Amino acid sequence: MSQLSRRGVAWVGTVALALAATACAGDRPGAGTDGAITIYGQEPQNPLVPANTPEVGGGKLVNVLWTGLVDYQGVGGAPRNVLAESIESADAQKYTVRIRPGTTFHDGSPVTAASFVDAWNWGAHAPNGAANSSFYADIAGFADVHPTDPDGAGPQKAPAPRASAMSGLRVVDDTTFEATLAAPSAIWPVKLGHLAFMPLPRAFFGGRPDDFGRNPVGNGPVRFVSWAPDVAVKLTRFDGYRLVDRSKVKDVTVRLYQQDSAGYADLLSGNLDFMEQVPVANLAGRKWETDLADRRITFDLPATHMITFPLYDRRFASADLRRAVSLSIDRQLLIDRVFFGHRRPADSFSNPTARGYVAGECRDCRYDPAAAKAALARAGGFTGELPLFYNADSGHKDWMEAVAAQLQQTLGIRARAEAVPTFAALRKLVTDRKMTGGHRSGWRADYPDVELWLGPNYTTSGAGNDSGYSNPRVDALYREGVRSRDIDAAHARFAEAGRLLSDDQPTVPVFYAMQQSGYSPRIARAGLTPVGELDLATVELR
Amino acid sequence: MSDPGENVEAAVRPGVAPGGLHTAETPVPAPATGKPRGQFADVWAELRRKPMFWISAFLILVFLVMAAFPSLFTSIDPDQGSLRDNLQGPSKDAWFGRDIQGRDIYARTIYGAQASIVVSVIATLGTVLIGGFIGVVSGYIGGWVDGLLSRIADVFFGLPFLLGALLILFTFNPPGSAPSKLKVEALVAVSLMVLSWPVSMRIMRSAVLSVKEADYIVAARALGASPFRIVLRHVIPNCLASMLVYSTILIGSFIGAEATLSYLGVGLKSPAMSWGIMINEAQQFLRDVPGWLFFPAAFLVTAVLAFVMLGESIREALDPKLR
Repeated sequence: MSQLSRRGVAWVGTVALALAATACAGDRPGAGTDGAITIYGQEPQNPLVPANTPEVGGGKLVNVLWTGLVDYQGVGGAPRNVLAESIESADAQKYTVRIRPGTTFHDGSPVTAASFVDAWNWGAHAPNGAANSSFYADIAGFADVHPTDPDGAGPQKAPAPRASAMSGLRVVDDTTFEATLAAPSAIWPVKLGHLAFMPLPRAFFGGRPDDFGRNPVGNGPVRFVSWAPDVAVKLTRFDGYRLVDRSKVKDVTVRLYQQDSAGYADLLSGNLDFMEQVPVANLAGRKWETDLADRRITFDLPATHMITFPLYDRRFASADLRRAVSLSIDRQLLIDRVFFGHRRPADSFSNPTARGYVAGECRDCRYDPAAAKAALARAGGFTGELPLFYNADSGHKDWMEAVAAQLQQTLGIRARAEAVPTFAALRKLVTDRKMTGGHRSGWRADYPDVELWLGPNYTTSGAGNDSGYSNPRVDALYREGVRSRDIDAAHARFAEAGRLLSDDQPTVPVFYAMQQSGYSPRIARAGLTPVGELDLATVELR
Repeated sequence: MSDPGENVEAAVRPGVAPGGLHTAETPVPAPATGKPRGQFADVWAELRRKPMFWISAFLILVFLVMAAFPSLFTSIDPDQGSLRDNLQGPSKDAWFGRDIQGRDIYARTIYGAQASIVVSVIATLGTVLIGGFIGVVSGYIGGWVDGLLSRIADVFFGLPFLLGALLILFTFNPPGSAPSKLKVEALVAVSLMVLSWPVSMRIMRSAVLSVKEADYIVAARALGASPFRIVLRHVIPNCLASMLVYSTILIGSFIGAEATLSYLGVGLKSPAMSWGIMINEAQQFLRDVPGWLFFPAAFLVTAVLAFVMLGESIREALDPKLR
C-alpha cells in the first residue's frame, strides 16, 4: 500500500490533508469581504511544490495556493468535487476524471487535464525525489517510474526507472483524463484531495522546481505575493477564481514563527488573527478560555496517539501483555488531569474522523484493573523494566510519565517513561527495529478513510507498521477491502479486520487528538478545514 | 571575585610560618594572656561575633543534612503520586502542593537538594584542587612555565561560561539521552571544573607570587629546605585563606549553575530530581500552580545565598582592613 508520511502528530513532519473549504454554510458566492488578516505559520521545509511538501508548515500554504479535484465535506465527510466535474468508474480500476472548464492558474494559463497528468508524472518520477511520491503508487505503471529500493534506506541504490510517465495516466482531451489503477480500488478517489494530486501550470515544467517553489503559481483561492524566509509569506485573493471556496478576505499574511508562545502572545495582543493550536501551556487550568473568551474553536483532528510495542522482542510477543497494558490505562483520567479534557479517549484502531470508523472497535481500550491483572497473569507476568519511549522535542513527557505511573500502580511492573532526544531519533530506533520497550506514536490521516489506518499500520509490510505485527487474515481482509468495487463492502471487510486487531492488540490506542484554535476580535466568524487549518472561504471580518 | 592579593596577606599563619607577620597592616594580635593566638583562632573570634555567619552556617548545615538524609525531612515518597490529585496548591497534606503527576512538591524539593549540593561540592573541590595546583606550580616556578600555564588558563578563561558548559554537555549529554544519574552528575561537575579552574589558578598564582619572596621563604631556602617542602609547608598554608573564601562563594554559584544547566535540559534529567528540573517542568504551569516553580526556586536562592554569605563573612573576618 502507499507509504504515507503520516508521521508524528500535527506538530512534526506530517502531511496536511485536504484543500481548503468545508461546507460550513455561508458559501455566498462573491460575498467577498475586503480586508487583511494575519495567521500563524511555520517556515516551510521545502520550496512550495505540492508533490514535495511533506510537512504542515508548507502544507498549509499549498492548501490555499492550490485547489484540487476534490475536497472533504467537513470532518470524516465524503469527498466533494471542486475542480472535478465528475470522477467516474465502472470497475473501480479505470477512472475517468472530467475537470471543470475555464479555470486558470494564477499566471493566467488554463488548468487542463494535462496539468494534472504532467504534475502527477513529475511527482512519481523517482529522479525528481518528490517527498509525496508514494501517493501515486496505486496508479498503473508507478513501479516503472519509481522502482523499489531493494534495501529501503540502505546503501544500495534503486535501479533507474524504465519510464518517465506512468502508463496508467492518459489525457483524453483538454478537460478529461483517464487514470487506470494497478488494481481495483474503491478508495482511490478519496485520496484525490491530498496535496500530492494538485495540478501544475505549464510554467513549472522546464524551469527549476526550486525556483518555481519560491515563487509558486497555483490555482487556488489566493495567489502568492512574497516570501521573506522566517518572517512572513504574503498572499492575496486570486480574483480570477471561479470555484466554490473563494476567499472572503483580500490579503492574507502568514507570519512564520519559531515558537508558538510568541504567536500566542501576538494573538492576545491583537497582532495575529488566527492560530490553529493554542500552546498546550495555556490549556492548563483552562487559561485559554479566559484569555480568548468566545473566540475559540475546539476541533477533532484526524489523529490518533497510541503506544506501540516491538513484537519482534520476545518480551512483548504476548497479546495478553499488551492487553494488560491497555486495560491499565485510565484514559479518561489521563485526559482530564494531563490534557485538561482536551483530548478524547481512544476506542478504536482508527479515528472517528475516518469513514468506516467503528466505535468501540478496540474492546480492551478501557480501564479495568482487575482484568488487567488477570491478563498479565495469563501472559506469565513481566520481569525487568518496561521503558516507554517518547520524543523529548514535543510535549509528550507528561502523559507518557502518567501512563508509566498507571502501569506501575495497576500491574506492579517497573514501567518508566524514557526520553529520546528528537522525533527523528525515535523514528530511527523504530524503523531500525531497535526498540527495547513500548514507544509512543501518533498518526495523522491524510485522507478520511479507515483504509488509511488499517493498511499502513497493521498489514504485514505496511509503511507505518512499527510493531512488526503480522496476521495473514488481517492482510487478506485488507486486500479484499481495497479491491472492493463498493466502498461499503470495503468498510465491512475493514471492520472485520478491526475485530481481529482487537483480539491481538498489536498497539494500545490511547487518545484522539483535538485542536484548540483561537482567533482575534477582528474576525467575526471562522471555520476550519478537516485538517484544522483556517478555511479562508468562511472567514468573516468585523 | 575580590582582589586576591588583599586576602593573602591576611591569611598568613604566624604559628606555622615565623616570618608570617611581615606586613605592616596585619595587626599583631596582642593577647593579654601572653600566649599568642593563631590567626585562625583570630578569624574564628571575629566570625563568632557575626550574625550573618551564624545564619548562613545554619542554613548550610540544613542543606547538607537535607542532601545526605532527605528522609529526615519528609516521609513522603517523591516518586509516588496520584494523577487524581495533580496540580493542587499547597494544602495540609502536601505543604507545597502537587505537580502534574500528583507528586508531592515538598518531598521533591527536599530530594532535589542532593543533586545541587553534590554536584557543586564536587565541582568546587575539583576546581580548587586543579586550579590551586596549577596556580602553585605556575607561581612558584615562574618563567616560561608560568607563561605557558597562564596562557592556557587565559584560553579557558576566555570561554563564556554558559556557552562552554552547553557545548560540553550537548556533546556528551544531549537533551533526551538517558545516561545514569551518576554519569550526568560527573559530567556536569567536570564541565564546571573545566571552565572555572582558571579563576582559582589566578588567585593561587598571585597569592604564591606575593609570598614567594617573603623573608620566611627565603629563610627556609637558606636553611636548605627542598622546593617541595617549602611549597608544602610554607607557601600553600599561607595562600589557603583566599582559596577558602573563593571556594565557599564558588559552591553557591555552582549550585546556581547546576540548576541552570538542568533547566536548559543538558544537566540532570527527569526522573532524577533537581531544583533546575523542577523549575523547568513547572514553568508552563506557572499560572496554575505557582508553588511548583516558586518553592524549588526559593530553596535554590536560599542555598546560593547561604554559601555566598558564608564566603563573605569569612572574607571580612580574614581581611584586617574590614575589622
